[in-house]
Amino acid sequence: MEDILTKFRDYCERPYERAAQIKATRNTKIIGCLPMYFPEEIIHAAGALPVTLFGSDEPITLGDGHMMTNACDQVRSSFDSLLKGKYDFLDGIAAIYICDQVRFYLEVWQLDHPVDFFHQMWRPYKLDSSTQVFFRSELERLISSLEEFTGSKITVEKLQASIRLYNESRAMMRKLNDLRKDRPGIITAADMARIVASSMFIPREEHNELLGQLLTKLEQKEIPAGKKQRIIAVGHPCSMPETEALDLIEENGMVIVNDDFFTGGRYFSKDVAASGDPIDAFIDFYANAIPCTTYHYADIWIKPDKNYSPYADYVISLMKDGQAKGVVVLKEMYCDPYDMEFVLMKNRFEEEGIPYISISSGSLEAIRTRVQAFEETLRFV
Amino acid sequence: MITAGIDIGSTTTKAVVLKDGDSFSYALQPTGIDIGSVSRQVLTQACEKAGLKFEDPDRIVATGYGRISIPFATTTITEITCNAYGVHHLFPNASLVVDIGGQDSKVIKIDKNGRVIQFAMNDKCAAGTGKFLEVAAQTLGVPVSEIGDISQQSKNKVPISSTCTVFAQTEIVSLIARQTNKEDIAAGLHESIVSRVFGLISSVNPDPKAEVVLTGGVAKNAAIVQLLERMLGRKIYVPEDPQIVTALGAALLARQWED
Repeated sequence: MEDILTKFRDYCERPYERAAQIKATRNTKIIGCLPMYFPEEIIHAAGALPVTLFGSDEPITLGDGHMMTNACDQVRSSFDSLLKGKYDFLDGIAAIYICDQVRFYLEVWQLDHPVDFFHQMWRPYKLDSSTQVFFRSELERLISSLEEFTGSKITVEKLQASIRLYNESRAMMRKLNDLRKDRPGIITAADMARIVASSMFIPREEHNELLGQLLTKLEQKEIPAGKKQRIIAVGHPCSMPETEALDLIEENGMVIVNDDFFTGGRYFSKDVAASGDPIDAFIDFYANAIPCTTYHYADIWIKPDKNYSPYADYVISLMKDGQAKGVVVLKEMYCDPYDMEFVLMKNRFEEEGIPYISISSGSLEAIRTRVQAFEETLRFV
Repeated sequence: MITAGIDIGSTTTKAVVLKDGDSFSYALQPTGIDIGSVSRQVLTQACEKAGLKFEDPDRIVATGYGRISIPFATTTITEITCNAYGVHHLFPNASLVVDIGGQDSKVIKIDKNGRVIQFAMNDKCAAGTGKFLEVAAQTLGVPVSEIGDISQQSKNKVPISSTCTVFAQTEIVSLIARQTNKEDIAAGLHESIVSRVFGLISSVNPDPKAEVVLTGGVAKNAAIVQLLERMLGRKIYVPEDPQIVTALGAALLARQWED
């Protein structure tokens, strides 16, 4: 089992190695996707390989000459990777609109380093009947521009096959998540994040194979009930949390039983319907996505004297479902949608008496003190 | 039972020794670079003051930044939990603690049993901490123990716009070059620290009627206390020796803490 986990760790250590290999040996177009929510299935159905770009944890040396320093780490670091030539294997880039930082990142990229295929897809913040017509046209525009670029027709059958492949992947990830809810500690939160993240770098067929093998082994593994406090971790809506921070949490008397990271629950919680019209299926997927800080919930907008945050309520439901005692919020610095929502979230947590702690990236020593202190407070809950 | 708490802060190491939960003795020393021997010395001194030897404490809790480097400690507890418990022991009605130490400042909401409900700490930078005052005092050429009194003599406080310790130093240098009175610069510096701490306090939405206790080395600075009282609009309680409250909490918790 350890050998399979090592493979996932290696993929995260060198995320683009496999894609570069494929580029060198097969006639496959590689399309970089900026997180989050990009419909990778459509790229897959065109016979191309979607690769999600996360940046790296290296110090940013070139990126800041092109990006403002109060952009989120994800954008700054990813741009730095671009300038360092780490994305040279790409044939194209694509993103779906989630925030202005990612949108401008894509535009600056195309200005500075033009690529053959460049696609900005627009997703309305508010997805209801009035905007669905527009969103449908955006899905169709993506399909036709990919068809033109790859020279491969994206048929309904191909789309459905790709959706099935990705649903299979998500189902296995959910199974893995259920295992850690039932048997906390069966897999570390850091490995969980690596497994989900690596699915976005390597061909999904290969990832499914590996994850299937891992699940078979894990299902047989018994974990003695421990004394650790069950918590859930949220944050990093479009990036990967630092695995060191996840390890710190789990080394200090707590165990993460569920999460809402992009490299976690946010990625695999919902499927796209594999039957019927695929475009309808995608519209439905986005319209009924799990609550997200990049959506605007017009029908239930804030009323005076009432704290409202569909996202916070979702986090609270995750907590109850996981029988967790508290919430650790790992915040990506300078993520505007998340930072804004956090104000509402805090109010809801306080209203419900939910223990929480918010941690932005910082020195691990400072994080250790906060994490340990949080665990100490949970002893009395 | 004899218990001890040892708080290894970024600037000062403090030890408190208790016999059956009271009659305490304490000692403190600059932390320096050899945490192991300093903490041993400080604990020995605290024991000797109580007529005991280093070996006598039955349980020892280490806290503060250096807590993980103390081989003779029974267990470690964070400075947040210890500080809250120490404050509760001295001020049973306190529900908000502000601690300004050498390199960090923290705000802790506590319940009626001295347990932490919520806390916030400064992250990444030393603005709003004792280090900020130290650097400023050095630049102004005055002892850090006097900078508070000096600031209170100001008649025309100058604003220090910077919230970063290093940039504030640059700002002080240019104010000195313009022959601004050191009293006025010092007053601006104090205001800058207190504003920073006030921001931290606001981040935990404190009860407007909360009884507030200020601890940490910076609580010895009367000007800071006065400014914070003015900003919060209420009296602030300061323990007799605000530096040892966290070590006291550690010594108290040593009796009951389970790993």
